[in-house]
Amino acid sequence: MRTIGVDTGGTFTDVVVVSDDGEVAVGKAFSTPPDFEQGVLDSVGAAAGSLGLTTAELLAQTDVIARGTTVGLNGLLTGTGARVGLLVTAGFEATLPLAKANKLYGLPPEDVSNSLKWDKPPLLVPRRRIVGVRERIDVRGEVVVPLDEAGARRAIEQLGEQGVEAVGISLLWSTVQPAHERRLGELVREILPGVDVTLSSELAPRLGEYERTSSVVVNASVGPLVGGYLTRLRGRLAAAGFAGELLVMTMGGGVIPPDVAARASIHTLQSGPAGGLARARRVAARLGHDNVVTTDVGGTSFDVGLVLRGELPFAHRPMIERQALAVPVVDVASIGTGGGSIAWFDAELGTLRVGPASAGSRPGPACYGRGGEHPTLTDAAVVLGYVDRLGGSLELDRDAAATALARHVAEPMGVDLIAAARGVFDVATAQMADLVRRTTVRRGHDPAEFALYAFGGAAGQYVGRYAADIGAAVVVVPHLAAAFSAAGAATSDVRVRHERELAPRLLADAGEVDAVLDELAGRARAEAGGDARVERRIGLRYYRQIHAIEVAVERVDAAGRAAAASEFQKRYDDIVGAGTSASGAPIELVSVAAIAVRPMAARDERPLTPGTGLAPTGSRRAWFDGAEHDTPVHDWERLGAGAVVTGPAFVESPQTTVVVHPGQRASMDAGGNLTLTTAAPG
Amino acid sequence: MSARTTVDPVTLEILRHRLDAINDDAAATLTQVSGSQIAVEANDMNTVIMTADGTVVSCGRYVLVLVVSMQLVVADLLEHAADNPGIHPGDQFMTNDPYIGTVHQPDVVVVAPVFAGDRLIAWTGSCVHHADVGGPVPGGINDEARSIFEEAVPIKPVKLVERGVMRRDIEREFVGRSRRPDLEALDLLGQVAANRATIQRLTALVDRSGVDVVVGAMEQLLDATEARFRALLTSLPDGRWRHVVHLEHGRPDGSDGDVYAVRLTLTKRGDGLTLDFGASDGQAPGAINASRAALWNFALAAVLIHLCPQIPWTAGAVRRAVEIRSRSGTVVHAAWPAGVAMSTAAAGQAIRACVNACTARLLDASDAGSALVMAGCQFAGGGGGVISGRARDGSVFGTMTLDELSGGGGARTFADGADTSAFTTSPGGLCANVEVNEAYLPLLYLARRERADSGGPGRWRGGVGLETWATPHLTGAPIAILSFGQGLQHPQAPGVVGGEPGGQSGFAIVANGTTDLPDRLPMPTGGMSFAAGESHVAASQGGGGFGDPLERPPGLVADDVLDGLVSVEAARRDYAVVLTPSGAAGWVVDADATAAERAARRRARLDGREPVERRSTPQPGRRLSSVLVADGDTVVCRWCGTPIAPVGAPVEPGLVLERRPVSARGGFGGRYPGSERFEVRHLHCPGCALQMDVQVARVGDPLLAAIDTAPPPLPTPETAQAGRK
Repeated sequence: MRTIGVDTGGTFTDVVVVSDDGEVAVGKAFSTPPDFEQGVLDSVGAAAGSLGLTTAELLAQTDVIARGTTVGLNGLLTGTGARVGLLVTAGFEATLPLAKANKLYGLPPEDVSNSLKWDKPPLLVPRRRIVGVRERIDVRGEVVVPLDEAGARRAIEQLGEQGVEAVGISLLWSTVQPAHERRLGELVREILPGVDVTLSSELAPRLGEYERTSSVVVNASVGPLVGGYLTRLRGRLAAAGFAGELLVMTMGGGVIPPDVAARASIHTLQSGPAGGLARARRVAARLGHDNVVTTDVGGTSFDVGLVLRGELPFAHRPMIERQALAVPVVDVASIGTGGGSIAWFDAELGTLRVGPASAGSRPGPACYGRGGEHPTLTDAAVVLGYVDRLGGSLELDRDAAATALARHVAEPMGVDLIAAARGVFDVATAQMADLVRRTTVRRGHDPAEFALYAFGGAAGQYVGRYAADIGAAVVVVPHLAAAFSAAGAATSDVRVRHERELAPRLLADAGEVDAVLDELAGRARAEAGGDARVERRIGLRYYRQIHAIEVAVERVDAAGRAAAASEFQKRYDDIVGAGTSASGAPIELVSVAAIAVRPMAARDERPLTPGTGLAPTGSRRAWFDGAEHDTPVHDWERLGAGAVVTGPAFVESPQTTVVVHPGQRASMDAGGNLTLTTAAPG
Repeated sequence: MSARTTVDPVTLEILRHRLDAINDDAAATLTQVSGSQIAVEANDMNTVIMTADGTVVSCGRYVLVLVVSMQLVVADLLEHAADNPGIHPGDQFMTNDPYIGTVHQPDVVVVAPVFAGDRLIAWTGSCVHHADVGGPVPGGINDEARSIFEEAVPIKPVKLVERGVMRRDIEREFVGRSRRPDLEALDLLGQVAANRATIQRLTALVDRSGVDVVVGAMEQLLDATEARFRALLTSLPDGRWRHVVHLEHGRPDGSDGDVYAVRLTLTKRGDGLTLDFGASDGQAPGAINASRAALWNFALAAVLIHLCPQIPWTAGAVRRAVEIRSRSGTVVHAAWPAGVAMSTAAAGQAIRACVNACTARLLDASDAGSALVMAGCQFAGGGGGVISGRARDGSVFGTMTLDELSGGGGARTFADGADTSAFTTSPGGLCANVEVNEAYLPLLYLARRERADSGGPGRWRGGVGLETWATPHLTGAPIAILSFGQGLQHPQAPGVVGGEPGGQSGFAIVANGTTDLPDRLPMPTGGMSFAAGESHVAASQGGGGFGDPLERPPGLVADDVLDGLVSVEAARRDYAVVLTPSGAAGWVVDADATAAERAARRRARLDGREPVERRSTPQPGRRLSSVLVADGDTVVCRWCGTPIAPVGAPVEPGLVLERRPVSARGGFGGRYPGSERFEVRHLHCPGCALQMDVQVARVGDPLLAAIDTAPPPLPTPETAQAGRK
């Protein structure tokens, strides 16, 4: 049988098929918003074609389709989500508009120092549809003010009169005592049948009402869209001959069954980066890399993520489109430096700038020949000879790139074309290196201790330079790099996480949380299905500190607490440096989590045969270190295991080009991963 | 010292980006190690990279006033520490002395020199608001202090780290002063770690690019940014503008001895800016004063925010084009041993508001600059303060709830002020979740809601502030509260171009179950507390409005009413918009009644006269503001051409003045003793009745000549007049 992984991006829908015999196929087709299902079927068809099968034949041989989707995100971006009403504790109607006074976070970097642009995150539910209900629960979970049912009915009716399609419910301390939220949920279902209901205590049981409320509203807004989409997709796939299991990729780095995804659509918002990281985790396990920093160069952004000891760390305060999320989101940092970033000479500052403006995909870089007049990073790569076509088919127009670069960079700076192109390349890769460094430093690590992975269509063009800049010891452009998120979906385990943050309590007094863990574990196991194995964890931190660290426990009895405390201390020292923790300070227990994992069939790709294809398949003129070289081009597909290529050289597949700089060596392993050994380029 | 190296545009851009990245990463390191709620949740901290003489090259976006003038600390060290105890590689120095370079005592600065070999090439620094640095009261702010000796006594710069090794004696001495030595130690360690990280990265940069390139790049960035800032100034018209803000401290005594005026005259001449605070009143004995360091930090931060939205925040470069004048012994430039611990919530805010108001007038004097105009944001006012008592577990606590970080932002020329968005000088500051505060403090919040009608009315409305009600919960002891006290007697967040000031601060202690606050409320004093059965009520200020509120499209007012940001009554009172009920909870604009009401208001502004027609395009002439032009020798209304004053004379006497008591806008206005001493002066065009300016003043004070209308060249800078005290 086979597994199909799908990832829908802004431009392309990628498909990766892995088979029991290790055979792999890749499909690519244009995304087709708003009818995303068509793009999926097109891309599946392309992959089927490369296997010599029809779509129906491929689907009939497939037992799992794992899907990363941007339907929810697209709904947020286009404002096409549901009409939401929000019920909150009376007196706290301002929680969402207050947004903890955030006027800055989530803004583009160029607006961060522009006071005129400082504003609150956009409101997904207007104030007139936020209604307070009299009730109050305190920090202990005790009812201070009983739920005013008559008032609640009036509030719900008022939302009904405003035509809401979904209702979010977020009450203070509902994580500790969800009774009022549950009762309100019943009332909504009774009074407004057919309206979607999201409870904060079920969706995002984390301490801190703002982030919880924001999550509820996001979920209520995109839920009907995502649920409807999954239902349609299932129907289309079934009609096309698919009888297996459909799974959905989450922002937390696993796949979940579609009924879970429909109830908690927020988890599906932005699964592309998580898919890439999930794949990186798998590759890292195979290659024996403990710590990995991942990089992905796209058209409009550069994304960096981490794999730490085989885990994907979650973002401390995740946010999408400035909406705060209180759910697990793998931590991916991003800057707006990508292939489409526009280069310009800032005469006042006397510097060569790259970005923040982007040519996007329309008109795109000048070399696309679609009318783009401004030089971009991709144009610089084209002028230097590093790349000459896109996605295997689009020939890039070097003359157009040269004209744009000459006019807007070389002439104003008074340098020649090649110096201008190299300058653009250097500035952009230095910005990338700065983000890589930031991402590891924020976790208390030195980037030089990490293996650096580069994936996405364009990372191979640039990784040689930014990897050298940060001094990465090992650089890997992995197998399937150009369809990495889809590959991640195809090879991820089912992973359902239920968590709950608690009012902080001393670890020493925390025996009663086993009952909560039992409940979460039961739910997680049931939702993951099959014979999922469950891991229990508790989140610990020093009194009133912010760094909570999750450690695994069996039972939270005296022995379990002692073991957890010692593991916590060790991990804390790893992050902030040994000896810096106030070891005398009391340890608090702040959260519990249960993670159910149902492993998917391991359909590992077939190992490469060694040693073939060492001869270059062609050559092209390219500039390195200020001189033009006749540079050999190697076909990625033909390099066998153990093949070594010495720079300057190119290794190309239809989807990607890896630039091997002078002084660097690229070697192919049996898994189809290309490892660059980086010495400092001249 | 070698001759300066010229750095090419590619290397310069790489180093520019990298210096900012290094500085931001240091802030991340600081919060990793510190882990404190203040540093991490409220982001009350910042980091900085400076040249060898302390000129600030990179500063973070967190709390600007903590770092933009850190040069003062470095200058002090270069003067006093170079020989003894010496400045060596691996050394780090700490101080929390506002008379040297910090804003107030809880803000602790740690700076470290960066060497290439034995050459001093740069400094790095960090500043964090520490939870408790000792002194007579928890949290460090003693409202009753009669001098700095009754506040936390500051530490002059001392060597905290000697050649890479923490001096345990100094560390013990510092943390031992605190009620929470454990938190102090972690904050301090975070600051040391942040400086170390920056030194390591800068050293790596020097190894790779060469010392002359790195030093040259810093100088080149400073020069280029300075040139850009000076070019901006050159593009703006020369002129002189004034603003006054009042502070209170102590009890009203009949002679206004408790009122302190902060007075700014801003002069823009050619490519330079002079901020003259010399006419400000003499200092208070304690608490509210700003030291010279606080003055420089707040003034420069305000210049960055309000004049440099499109210029890199290379603070040291901007500093070169700004001259700050002040007199020692005044409320903005206190002389030892005056207390200064509350400066951030008092004189510092007044300084920022004065610069905000004057730069808005400067920008508004040209077509190009006017797009950058922004009204004033909230002050840290009487709703804010420090609470202390016994936590649920019996331990002592003393802290800010951070609820005051929630006032309104100033209106812009294209949008309302950001609601509940807090100070501009703390871009990255955040307030806390109710659940986070309730988890640690023995409090139960009864409400935390947006305050309708607190945004300053205008063509664009100021952002609304926040109102919180909280009562002691699960504690046997009452909770003591020290209010910052400002903005209770009169509004402080300035409106611009005829926009009105933001709503006042509020502070009250009332019995639980109270719904309507009493008409008269006592001013907060030291030693106040609230016990079980009582609530502490606090309101943060609204932001100032932009433009005449009678020009606001009625549909926007109706939207605000539907969203609870403006009451139906205030829609009529403040905007002359008449609404009629529609549906269950809806309102719609009565267009005819609104037009009639607005016409009546304009007539009333002119004592019953019919206003003259406005032009569809502005009156030609030398632009003075968006409402005034100089037409030959006469200043006229830019929209109706009515003559107002001879060029060179103050315009205010030529406008129609309407005085309103501070109670006129409801809310907390007029409820506190002493508020009768203030009034709001609305100044209208005598021809078309346009509201041209709104000034908050003490009753009986002369009209403020907010704008000099004389054509350039300006006379020589005026010498500051001594203040009233």
